[in-house]
Order: sequence, then C-alpha cells, then structure tokens
Amino acid sequence: MADRVRTHPGTRKPTLHLGHGKRHCVKVLERLSAYLDDELSGDVCREIRAHLGDCPNCEVFLDSLRQTDQLCRNRPSPALSKNDRASLRRQILKAAATT
Amino acid sequence: MALRKKSRPDLHDGHAVSRSTSTSFDQLYRDHVDVMYRFAYRLCGETEAAKDLVQETFLSAYRAYDRFRGDAQISTWLYAIASHACQRMRRKRKGEPERELSLTEFVPTSGGEFSLQVPMEGLSPQEALENKELRQILDRAIAKLPRKYRMVLVLRDMEGLSAKEVGGILGLNERAIKSRLHRARLFVRRELSGKGLAGEFHSDVTTGHR
Repeated sequence: MADRVRTHPGTRKPTLHLGHGKRHCVKVLERLSAYLDDELSGDVCREIRAHLGDCPNCEVFLDSLRQTDQLCRNRPSPALSKNDRASLRRQILKAAATT
Repeated sequence: MALRKKSRPDLHDGHAVSRSTSTSFDQLYRDHVDVMYRFAYRLCGETEAAKDLVQETFLSAYRAYDRFRGDAQISTWLYAIASHACQRMRRKRKGEPERELSLTEFVPTSGGEFSLQVPMEGLSPQEALENKELRQILDRAIAKLPRKYRMVLVLRDMEGLSAKEVGGILGLNERAIKSRLHRARLFVRRELSGKGLAGEFHSDVTTGHR
C-alpha cells in the first residue's frame, strides 16, 4: 500500500495528517511496526500518538501488535542434544567426503 | 568471528581435504551449530526438517568455503547459506504456494479482532509462553506465514538481526525487509486475535491452564 504522506512547503520531513475515522486508522496501521521500532521522525510519532490517544481501537491494536512481537522475540527454541550434534557432524563429514 | 582464510576448513576423522588453514571444520561446526539449529527449527517448525537443514547448511558451507570473502561475519554468512538451503529444500518438496500479504487484509472489521485472545494479562512474555497451548498457537501462526515473510520475521524478530543484515542475507533492500516484517507481524497478530482463533482455541488457553 502506498504511503499517504504529505510534505509541507518549507519543511523537509513528510508529516502524516491524522484525524479520526477509519481512513486515518488505516494510515496508522500502515506504520505501526515502524512506530514500534522507533524508525519514524518525531513529527510523525507525535501525530500517531495523538491519533492513538483519540482512538481506543488503534491503541488496543498497537498493544496487541507489541505483545505479538514480544511473544515472537521470547519464544524459546529447543536445543540440539549432544547425541544429535555428534550424529549430525558425522553425517556432514561423510557426505563431504563422498561428494 | 570473521574468518579470513580462503582455503577450506579441515575435515577431521580421516576425511581431510585441506590442512592449509588453522580454522577447522570442527571449530566452525562447534561455534555455530547451536545457533544454526535454533534458526532451522524456527524456520521449519519441527525437529527432523531442522536437522536436515542444518546438515545441508554445513555441507554447503564446507563446499563454498573457498568463496567466503571474510568481509562479513561468519554467522551472517551461515544464515545466508541456511536461508538459501531452506528455499531449495522447499522447492524440492513443492511446499506451500507463496502468496503476497496485503496490508488491507489486516484491517480489523469487528471488535474481537483488535486485541489478542490469548492469556497475557499481567504476565511477562516469558511467563505467558510457559503456557504450552499458547506456544502451539504461536508456532502454528508462524508456520502459516508464507515462507518469504516467515524468513524475515525469524531473522529479524527471533534471531535479532538488523534490517540491514537481513537485507544482506536475503538480497533485498531494507525497505523491502521492513515491509515484509510489518506484514508478517500483522499476520501473526491476526492469528492470535479473535479472528485467527475464532472457534478454534481451547478453553484452557483463556483460563491460563498449563
């Protein structure tokens, strides 16, 4: 989806203009990962925060995206057992020697 | 660890091919196998496929060692080999067809879709993930992601690489990586919301039984 961003004459950084209503919610949704990852300019962040303060649904949506991200980051992954580590090593050495 | 030798690593156990470098295959394997297995498991979602991918990765690494330029971290180089090996293996298996994710499909249309429908209230992410059913739901959501989005989510959010590093590994610019990452997160979020879990999740999940 194309970014819908307007640039004001005399300003270098593009600024989102977010009011309320579904159209504005979609604009916010487009940028929530960048917002969570702190990749947006101060002006854009302020506009998004203003929209979030005015729109409980978007606030809840942002929380759910943040929680999703935290679950992914903290999902433990099983470790390779010592036996599997040794067995895999043998298989790799054998395959390397025969090809 | 950045390896700067251009010759192949030794293969021990009687399979030596070249001993011109002090860096051995054993060292490469020992230093990186656990990280590569974790990565492979996150990509594949199950043990045997993850082991196959690890084997393919280190075999390819051995064969391509002459071409390793030494200007990247060796872990990044291995991630790239594993990512390409994963794509090759999936093509062989004729895996799921790739589909593009559109942002518009993630716009909630009803109340239950805005929040997650999994038990996290008052819990840290680590505590919430002690719930086996929540882990299964999360794993299933990640596994359902089209591969190219899953690859970016795993590398960026789970392995903790930067967007620039992920771009280098997958041969894409940072903008494309960020776009895929955002769609991947929205996809997993939706799977954990009322929409994704409609009529599916177990009552134990909402009551927090483990």
